[in-house]
Amino acid sequence: MWDQVGQALRLSMTKMLSQLASLLPGIVALLTALVISVAFAWALAAILRRSLKRFDFDRRVAHWGFPAMAEWSPASSPTLLLTRAIAWIIVFMGFLIGISAFDGALPSQFVIRLFAYLPDLMTAIVVFVAGSIVARFLARSVLIGAVNMNLQYARLLSVGVKWLVTVLAVTIALERLGIGGGIIRLAFGILFGGIVLALALAVGLGSKELVSRSLERETSKASGSNVKEPVGHL
Amino acid sequence: MELDAIPQPELEQIERIGGADLVIGILGDARSADEGTALTLTREALAELSKPLRAMVVCNNGTHSPAAVAPEVPGDKQSPAIFSCSLPPPAPGETPQHGISNAYRTVFAVGGKLGVRACCLIASRSQTAAPGWIHRLIQPVLDLGFDLVAPCYTRQKMEGLLNRSVLAPLHGALYGQRLQNPMGPDFGLSGKLLQRILVQDSPRRRGAERSLLASIASAAACDGFQVCESQLGVRQQSPTDWDNLSSLLAEILGAAFLEMEGRAAHWQSIRGSQTLPRLGQPEVPSPENPTPVDVKGMLQSFRLGAQNLQDVWGLILPPTSLLELRRLSRLTDDQFRLPDQLWVRIIYDFALAHRLQTISRDHLLRSLTPLYLGWIASYALEMQAAGLTEVDSRIGLLSKAYEDNKSYLVSRWRWPDRFNP
Repeated sequence: MWDQVGQALRLSMTKMLSQLASLLPGIVALLTALVISVAFAWALAAILRRSLKRFDFDRRVAHWGFPAMAEWSPASSPTLLLTRAIAWIIVFMGFLIGISAFDGALPSQFVIRLFAYLPDLMTAIVVFVAGSIVARFLARSVLIGAVNMNLQYARLLSVGVKWLVTVLAVTIALERLGIGGGIIRLAFGILFGGIVLALALAVGLGSKELVSRSLERETSKASGSNVKEPVGHL
Repeated sequence: MELDAIPQPELEQIERIGGADLVIGILGDARSADEGTALTLTREALAELSKPLRAMVVCNNGTHSPAAVAPEVPGDKQSPAIFSCSLPPPAPGETPQHGISNAYRTVFAVGGKLGVRACCLIASRSQTAAPGWIHRLIQPVLDLGFDLVAPCYTRQKMEGLLNRSVLAPLHGALYGQRLQNPMGPDFGLSGKLLQRILVQDSPRRRGAERSLLASIASAAACDGFQVCESQLGVRQQSPTDWDNLSSLLAEILGAAFLEMEGRAAHWQSIRGSQTLPRLGQPEVPSPENPTPVDVKGMLQSFRLGAQNLQDVWGLILPPTSLLELRRLSRLTDDQFRLPDQLWVRIIYDFALAHRLQTISRDHLLRSLTPLYLGWIASYALEMQAAGLTEVDSRIGLLSKAYEDNKSYLVSRWRWPDRFNP
């Protein structure tokens, strides 16, 4: 009986060792892919960091209307944020390549699905970035225009427009990624409606001042039409 | 050449005429610049000149009708010959300044084609433009050899404020020539200067946005032409459209800053400024308008700007200026005074940011409106009891501040990142 037990143990040991041996090339391939991707990511990040510093990227990002980006960047530097993000993406890609080296259906399916998802991810990122740029540009236009029209609610209007466009961009991006589904649509409807209502109130209250001022001007023009405007610019 | 704006029959007429001594553009608003008025003004002006001349009148009446040619008596060398043509109506959506700039281009093109000796541009409303204006703008060119005759108007103390606060002192500090109205809009030019401007303004060399209105005086100053001013008297001002003040600022200052950028190599080496000959007798101004200026509204705009536009101004102005503006916004109405040095540095910093395109140029120029209103309020409070002589000396001090701070501009222009106080 002891012979049979010993044989069974030997058999299971052999089976396990042979399975481990069959996995070894995959593990080595995964480690190799990781090492290469880390080295490549490190080199690319170094080159990119140097180029962005020469381009004065941190200052330009603030000038392009993204001063907040510095706040949530490591060491308050958008350059570091960008280079680290790119480095981690490359390491992740290396990891995926390594995983697909395993001889199995599950890892391969996982990688294939992940790669199929990439175009949607890229589209979502582009939509989000474009939305942020448009939101900031429109917010600044509204702020300057409203201040020049002497509206006390200038900042509220500007923030409202910014969030309106940002919420729209985020919703499109999430829809593209297939996250949330119906909840996102519902949340978007509520948020969008809320912002529009807030803006309508702000515009209404601001217009009250605007209308009264223009009426005052019209009245003064009508009552003293022969009085010349005291201020001339050119 | 911008002759495309002229209808074909009138172009053929210009071809037939061949040559002329003068081209006169009457470019006031379309309703007032009718051909009859333009021809009458020209006839009266030419009658005052010592020699009979051939003149082409281009008017902005927008009728687009074939030219009415005043009959030229063959062999009659004693009376002046006058021809005329008209410009088509302005394109929809075209701003007044852009319209004038395009009309200038057409007049210059006609002048260039006819090889004229002198050119006169009247862009003020023609009800105020007396016949004397054409004579006063042309005579120094024809008889005294000047290349550019800039206008000098009789103004009340609250008139021409953009000229007083920015355009004139900036032109003086940059190009070294003190002019009351560097952007006219009424000018007299020699044929030589006209040809030079035509070359510089060719579509290949000029940017899409460059305005001819801003480049006449700077071209004359940079290329060493003889410049003088001529007293024209009172000019009727268009009523201020307060709701569109930011558009006016964007248009006028945008043109001046673009011109400044294009001629940076020239003005960086100029120091100080000189007074130019001023021809004619100044008209005695009518009594001061008793209507008070609404300083309260302007100060409210300034404070609203200081409260809300710090993020935008922070991208344009150095921290010291921002701090000073914040302090000013807390002052009471009576205490409010915008120091000359601060105002001058604000203008220089905006010009630099315009060049660097720190933010969208339209945003940049429009965000200057509350600051400009702050300057007007400060000036109005300071000058409320002052006479015209005191106003002139006050503006003289401002011009000096522009010149004294030019080294600041030059340093920031050359090293925008390194020199940032």
